[in-house]
Amino acid sequence: MQDPKSGVKSQTQRLVITTIPHAITGEDIVAWIVNRFKIDATEARAMGTMMVAFGYIYPLQDHKRLILKPDTSLYRFQTPYFWPAQQWPVEDTDYAIYLAKRNIRKKGMLELYEQEQYNSLYKWMNHKWDFIVMQAKEQYRAGKERKKPDRVVFDCQERAYWVVHRPPVRNIWTEYRPYGQFKPRVKSSVSIGAIVKYATTYKEHDPLLHSCLPSNPWLTDDLVLIKHLIKVECWTFSFGELLMDPRGRADFRLFLKKEFSGENLAFWEACEDLKWGAAETMKEKAQQIYKTFLARGAPRWINIDGKTMDITVKGLAHPHCYVLDAAQTHIYMLMKKDSYGRYLKSPVFKETQRKAIAPEPHRFTRRPSLSPIILRQQEEEQKAKLAASGPVDITQLCRFTAPVPHLAVYTGICEAQSTASPGLMTLPNSAACPSPISVAIDSTPASERRFDGNGGPSSSHFPSIAEASVSEEENQTPALKSRMTLSLSRLLRRGCNGPSVFASLSPKCAVVSGGGKVQPLGVEPLAQPQPRRIANFFQIKVDIPPECRIYPIDSEDEEDDSPNAARGGVKEIICPWETVTKKDGAG
Amino acid sequence: MGKDECKTMLDALNKVTACYRHLVIALGSTSDSQNLREELKKTRKKAQELAVANRTKLTSLLKDKNISKDDRAEYERLWVLFTSSVELLEVDMKRSLEIGQDFPLKVPTRHLIQTGMTGSTTTVAARAMSVQNMKYEADANIDTVDLKELETEIAQVDQMMEEMEMKVQVAPWAVEAKQEAGAELKSTVSVGNSSVGVISICEEEPKETVEGETGLMKVFAGVIFTAVLLIAGILGYLVINL
Repeated sequence: MQDPKSGVKSQTQRLVITTIPHAITGEDIVAWIVNRFKIDATEARAMGTMMVAFGYIYPLQDHKRLILKPDTSLYRFQTPYFWPAQQWPVEDTDYAIYLAKRNIRKKGMLELYEQEQYNSLYKWMNHKWDFIVMQAKEQYRAGKERKKPDRVVFDCQERAYWVVHRPPVRNIWTEYRPYGQFKPRVKSSVSIGAIVKYATTYKEHDPLLHSCLPSNPWLTDDLVLIKHLIKVECWTFSFGELLMDPRGRADFRLFLKKEFSGENLAFWEACEDLKWGAAETMKEKAQQIYKTFLARGAPRWINIDGKTMDITVKGLAHPHCYVLDAAQTHIYMLMKKDSYGRYLKSPVFKETQRKAIAPEPHRFTRRPSLSPIILRQQEEEQKAKLAASGPVDITQLCRFTAPVPHLAVYTGICEAQSTASPGLMTLPNSAACPSPISVAIDSTPASERRFDGNGGPSSSHFPSIAEASVSEEENQTPALKSRMTLSLSRLLRRGCNGPSVFASLSPKCAVVSGGGKVQPLGVEPLAQPQPRRIANFFQIKVDIPPECRIYPIDSEDEEDDSPNAARGGVKEIICPWETVTKKDGAG
Repeated sequence: MGKDECKTMLDALNKVTACYRHLVIALGSTSDSQNLREELKKTRKKAQELAVANRTKLTSLLKDKNISKDDRAEYERLWVLFTSSVELLEVDMKRSLEIGQDFPLKVPTRHLIQTGMTGSTTTVAARAMSVQNMKYEADANIDTVDLKELETEIAQVDQMMEEMEMKVQVAPWAVEAKQEAGAELKSTVSVGNSSVGVISICEEEPKETVEGETGLMKVFAGVIFTAVLLIAGILGYLVINL
């Protein structure tokens, strides 16, 4: 480009006294680019503008606007030191020195943006300021050693460089300056301490760092939300953890219900819904919340202080999704400081803790897991059903709480019954198949054989057999659900059991009582979950959407196999009788 | 005293760093030449010597445990000055290496950028070396030979800086500046007396040379003085004669 013959035509710039060579006009540049790259004028102009914008060429007049004007305005090449090609970092120290030099030259009359930059740099580079002043003065003096035209050129060059790298724009941009410049500073010891604390607290609970039982959500598709000890332990870390976990929240809700302060949590949830829900219904939601929780004489009146109430009421005149933020924070703090502490000491929580189990690892058997989309749909439908079924205490996820009979309880099978003797069940299972009536009879020997291994407590199950064959089934099924159970046998057994026993049992609450009867018999903690589970097992929702029946064959077994017990509505127990046909077909 | 010595040495280092920067900016442009490369080399070497001397002095001062708090604060301030100078020097050295490699001189056709600078940088270098005239005795292939040396020197400076950081425990952000904002303007009064005038371009108004003003004032003062002398002489003559 500089070739005297084929490059851009070079001219001299004439100033008042001096003439400086090597100036080029805009139009010459454009013409040369057009010629060289065989492109049209507009593109050449754009290319030239880019060159100027980056700083390879700088304008001599109108130096603040970095564009290429295709007329007789003059430009000059920038010295390689100031090229951006090498991508050297643009230092603030250099900029400060430049501003100081400029200050000297202009005798304190800097431009507005320059003055602002100067002041801000003085503030945060204060420790280096002596150096900057010294260096500026020295550089200024050294610059004076050169001849006049060179000095002019030098000044122009430097100025152009800084126009490129510190553009003279409005104040807005100063906010985007180096991160630490305007933010309040936190001591690094404090922040590092917080990180260390977080890491040590959550180290055990992170599936990525620590082996997660029963199955690592990063590896499997299961949305297994089992409530085992480690998870429950998480709830003790912070109130936020408790609320984020749906099971925790459910547990907390139960506790609050007992304390008759459930409206706090309900209000908090309603606020969350307002914040994150659909925008179109936002106004109605806000009004609804006000009517339900905040208005005087409201059905679920929450207790917030007068100032917050004032702010909220004022905000509700022009509602937006964060209008209830103040009140929500207040209630959150209230719950955190008050209810949370009591919850952790409450019998509800202690019960939960006691029941929380250490699950066994997942044995990865091949099965098609249901797509999360379908699972989510099922969840939605369940939730809709629950919502529709009235304002009953919604503890749907917790299999450890007393199961409400008429509610569908989607609880998986609990832990594997390690007490169950491994290989015994197959035969009796198949034996149990033939007729439903003979099931009870057959189950006796089966359970006999079964519970021989279990020892004393198991024999206590026998008297209950007379009472209801159901209980046997109940006893049997958990025992059967050990790891070693062959899927096929279980299929058959359940298939046989299904039609007869379950059909008669499903709507009855006797199931619960049956479970209840068995319950006191079991002494070990293991026995206790069993009847519960059986009870749950029997509570089958008749309105299960068809898709869920697709997978039951395998997943049910997986449920049995794995201790991934109660999945929150993800893998429910399918009505066995409805899967009979499928199983038979599959089997 | 130790402090004054330090200060003078630091001033010298500062001066050389500033001149070095000027020289590096001229690299690759039309004012580049054999001489420039030689100047760069010499300036660089001088800067390094000064840096080493400064370092030893300052480290010995700082290691002394029996100094008062004020003294210590002052030394820390000087230390920050020193480190900033050396950082600047190092950056310029690295940049000069890159540009030097990009713009070789020993090629049949030199491709130097026409930046408009055509003068030589002798005077700047002379200032840096504190000599009246620069002597050029380097051989023809200084640019390639010099570059290798430059690389080793950069490595040395790097190492020195690392050592400095490890050995001397000074928190740079704890130092408070003695100068306030706009301090450079104060001392420019003396600076302004020598030639300042820079002709601005286009939108900036052309500035008058302060030189002219002060010179004028001097002339004026001289005139008045002579006039007073004359009057005194005449009066004396009259007194004597009368």
